[in-house]
Amino acid sequence: MIDNFNRFVLANADMLLFGMWITARVCTLGFALAIVLGALACALRLYVPLLRPIAIGYIEFCRATPIFVQLLWVNYVWPELFGFPRTVEGAGVIALALQSSGYLAETFRAGIQGLPRGQAEAGLAIGLSRLTIMRRIVAPQAVLVMAPAIVNQMAVVVKSSTLVSVIAIPDLMYQALKIVNQWFEPIEVLTTAAALYFLIIFSLSTGAERIAVRFRRKFGLVELH
Amino acid sequence: MLGELWQSLDPSLFWEYRVILLSGLAVNVGIFLAAAVVASLLAFAIGLARMSRIGPLRAAATGYAELFRNTPELVIIVWTYYVLPVLIGRLFGIRLDLSPWLASVVALGLAYSGFMSETVRGGLLSIPRGHVEAAMSIGMSGWTILWRIMLPQAIRRMLPEALNQFVSLFKATSIVSLIAVQDIMYRVSMINVQEMRPLPLYTGAALLYCAVVIAASQAIQHLSARRQSWV
Repeated sequence: MIDNFNRFVLANADMLLFGMWITARVCTLGFALAIVLGALACALRLYVPLLRPIAIGYIEFCRATPIFVQLLWVNYVWPELFGFPRTVEGAGVIALALQSSGYLAETFRAGIQGLPRGQAEAGLAIGLSRLTIMRRIVAPQAVLVMAPAIVNQMAVVVKSSTLVSVIAIPDLMYQALKIVNQWFEPIEVLTTAAALYFLIIFSLSTGAERIAVRFRRKFGLVELH
Repeated sequence: MLGELWQSLDPSLFWEYRVILLSGLAVNVGIFLAAAVVASLLAFAIGLARMSRIGPLRAAATGYAELFRNTPELVIIVWTYYVLPVLIGRLFGIRLDLSPWLASVVALGLAYSGFMSETVRGGLLSIPRGHVEAAMSIGMSGWTILWRIMLPQAIRRMLPEALNQFVSLFKATSIVSLIAVQDIMYRVSMINVQEMRPLPLYTGAALLYCAVVIAASQAIQHLSARRQSWV
């Protein structure tokens, strides 16, 4: 087994590292786009009554469809329908962003609506504009409350990103399966890939928990026991 | 854009393949049900072990839950399908053939037992200590307390969250096509290879999933709203 580990994993370490870099790139781009789309959907849902049904439909669609179905849908249907994305990596990024934007929009909404009304009303009373209230009073507090959920969503993105290997984006999973198909020795390579994914996702979700605990203590957001 | 979508979303094609698609969805439902049973049973065992007084058992159960909660479903499925039979073969010298169907059920069951053990633990922890102490004071044994006092209350409190986990599990069954289970996504891909018409096929599959999942979540919300009166 150690022999095989040297032969299949260490000898192909460059492939796996390259795969991790692609995974990191797809996840980062997808998550950044998800934040933008999620904030937009949340803002439309809360503040633009005319577009509210569309925003709700978008959010529900993103949340109710499995990521794998979305991925294939974006990859095969969007080029025909909208003329983009032109690369598989674009499709992977958009699919990951779609999925997470639905969840993030709901996280943002919960964060904003969870604040006591008095906060915004106090701002209005001293004559601040709505935008200033959003920027200086609502957003900073809401971000603190939402931070753990946002980091958790990052972990979900990394998890879902394993699927982009299916549309031939050369991520970590893709490289691992490629090595397996070359040598027909699945044990060491797939176990290594699993361990790498576990480490990445575990540190993200443990990080989320740490952040949650620290913020609660620091800002007294939750009543102390 | 919507007109174009409607034009190319030829519903007749979807209607033509309705039997194949719906029987594909039935395969998903079958895997979902079997995996849900596996996940629930494991989750109860792990959830109880996480509250055990025996330190090493508790640590092992916590490690198990963390392992499966933090590993991607696809990795678990592929690992179960490709690695597990070979590993068992090498270690014990027996030949084990795991069918794609069985591998999916085992893998999804393992993956979701991690999430659900957390739900079980939360449900058990939510029971006031006084109930357990009252049962002990009238001389009930540990298992009787668990069976008659703790579980009936805990299950009711766990239900909404567990049902949401089941919805996630159902969504996750869409990836079993990747180890060649002939589910709905597998059949959609196969038809697409023949007909080269991704738009109606993939959009239809997405909408079908969307409809099932939204209907299920609405039902769950309805149920949990009513549940307020039970507890």
